[in-house]
Amino acid sequence: MIKHFLSLEWKQFRRSSYFQKGIAIKILLFLAVLYFGGIAIFIGGILFFGLKKTFPDIDPIVMVNNYLIYWILFELMIRFFMQQLPVMNIKPLMTIPIKRNSVIHYLLGKTALSFFNFISLLLFLPFSIVLIVKGYPLDNVILWFFALMCITMSINFLNFLINKSNTVFYAIASAVIVIVALKYFNVFDITEPVGNIFNGLYSHPYLAIIPMLIMIGLYKVNFDFIRKGFYLDGAISKKVKEVNATDLSWMDRFGSVAPFLKNDIKMITRNARPKQVVMMSFFFLFYGLFFFTQKVYIEEMPYLLGFASIFITGGFLLSFGQLVPSWDSEYYKLLMSQNIPYRQYLESKWYLMVFAVIVAFILSTPYLYFGVDIYLIIAAGALFNIGLNTFITLFGVSLNRVPIELDTNANAFSNTNGFNPTQLLIALPKMVLPIIIFFIPYHFVNFNAGLIALALSGVIGMIFKNFFLNKIEQVYQKGKYKTIAAFSEKK
Amino acid sequence: MITSSNLTKTYNGVTVLNIDNLDIPKGQSFGLVGNNGAGKTTYFSLLLDLIQPTTGHIKNKNILVNESEDWKPFTSSFIDESFLIGYLTAEEYFYFIGELRGQNKSDVDALVLQFEDFFHDEILGKKKYLRDLSKGNQKKAGIVAALIGNPEVIILDEPFANLDPTTQIRLKEIIKNLAKKQGVTVLISSHDLMHVTDVCERIVVLEKGEIVKDLATSEATLKELEQHFAG
Repeated sequence: MIKHFLSLEWKQFRRSSYFQKGIAIKILLFLAVLYFGGIAIFIGGILFFGLKKTFPDIDPIVMVNNYLIYWILFELMIRFFMQQLPVMNIKPLMTIPIKRNSVIHYLLGKTALSFFNFISLLLFLPFSIVLIVKGYPLDNVILWFFALMCITMSINFLNFLINKSNTVFYAIASAVIVIVALKYFNVFDITEPVGNIFNGLYSHPYLAIIPMLIMIGLYKVNFDFIRKGFYLDGAISKKVKEVNATDLSWMDRFGSVAPFLKNDIKMITRNARPKQVVMMSFFFLFYGLFFFTQKVYIEEMPYLLGFASIFITGGFLLSFGQLVPSWDSEYYKLLMSQNIPYRQYLESKWYLMVFAVIVAFILSTPYLYFGVDIYLIIAAGALFNIGLNTFITLFGVSLNRVPIELDTNANAFSNTNGFNPTQLLIALPKMVLPIIIFFIPYHFVNFNAGLIALALSGVIGMIFKNFFLNKIEQVYQKGKYKTIAAFSEKK
Repeated sequence: MITSSNLTKTYNGVTVLNIDNLDIPKGQSFGLVGNNGAGKTTYFSLLLDLIQPTTGHIKNKNILVNESEDWKPFTSSFIDESFLIGYLTAEEYFYFIGELRGQNKSDVDALVLQFEDFFHDEILGKKKYLRDLSKGNQKKAGIVAALIGNPEVIILDEPFANLDPTTQIRLKEIIKNLAKKQGVTVLISSHDLMHVTDVCERIVVLEKGEIVKDLATSEATLKELEQHFAG
């Protein structure tokens, strides 16, 4: 049975039209995997010695256990944003004699092979080996390692649930926020009790059964969750909701791009996936809190300020913008044959992103608390976002030909994840450029020069708006037929 | 109105469409029939510049469709569900298309009102997104949307498929009316020989991408077509 599934999947992968195009990106991803895998092994190998040297009084294993909770939270977060969940076209499988359970076992089993599970393995395996070599008791180390692997798999299955079920997502998210807030305001530090738990796992190795049971339990919950969705009306057809029409005629003042803007607003508010992405872009607003609360960043790593400022106002741009033509993939043929010049379509997307940057900038006013300089750099970042980043985004995504299913929420069989690593790779230049523009004048002249350079680059971009849009239009026109073909490919 | 010359489309060495010359005059109701894979949808896609011709070109009112976008204002079409925007209600969709074609709300309302009968009370005022409608009702909405904005050329791929008998009969009236009274050039494709002979003044039979028959519709046409397809 599994052999059949594997061959189906291999065919889907090989025969999709964006496979060829993405080969360069796949190589990059492969290199990234090698890189991060290598780093994990390296850190795992030297962790013991590093800790021993820095904290000679504390046993490295105790130190690791104390801070393990942060690793777990970090892993959960990274997975939430990056891990691709297994997708399977189950409709054709429903009427042929395959046991539903075996489909589900396969689907869940597949997630066990995710790269993210291997990071933990590559990190803790060398560490455990070092421990054994250093003469730590064999039973304890092996069972501790086993417990950690069970925890990793538990995170894996938990992430699956978080992605598929809004209830679980909100529950976990609020729990994490409460924990972080309690620690931040010095009310209660969860690190110590949790550290004790992990230390307990090490000193009483038979307790490894608990993580194992948790893992099995989560597997079972996932299994039931998917089992429940294994019906046509559960997984494939959606619930019919009554429409609540909103009056958007006030947007008519935007002239010829108004119909598109109105349509995009409806697209965002009425579909699960864009809604999720826009929600996420709202969180980007708080990104500055990481940077501006730490004196270190302001004084020692000022080049990161340009970077942070881009994020604060550019959340929508980065998350929504990088999937631009894909949002319209379901009805792309209509757009291409209707009375719409390509140029107007692109311009409307540009306006949408500019609008979002302006809204984010207004919402970022509280950053004045950190001083006028900080606020000015956010303003300069906003200008850069409007004047350059919008065009870079539109240009970069002209190669993006992955169709999106708009309304797939809480659906066990399709990918609801807003981000994927490929898009993050494409996004890299957008983040590096502002750092360079800000840092060079900052380094050679002063802070204000960096500020002005960043702002000016945005203004120049706006002056050349028509030029940029024309160039981008040409790129889109060139790829038009390929894009149509790729978008009409059914998943 | 529409001229195709030396038009071919080849996929990986297989020619799926090969039309030396095809002229469709203004105001003609033109029917395209042929078995699966005959090239009907390929031809319509070329006409709408959704795919690129391997050789040759199509001129729509003397505009080269693969080089200029100027044919778009007077050409409208409904090929398949990917022409619908699933998260809009039927009304919103009509208004959206109307705005693209320079029609205001009341223009669209007036036009849509004429098709109340056609909709059979299943589309308007239902507060349902298009994606939640049945295939047949989606098709109705798509076809009517293609009539918005006084297009001079209307292209409908398989308009009769998926429709219930009542609607099929009404649709035939609508199409006839468009060509005869309003001088609109209507291009349809169909597997239903009866419907297509009822509606179209001219019928072209495609076989493996080539034109094998080009008939002016008469009493004898249906028989001739049936014989042809019976093999």
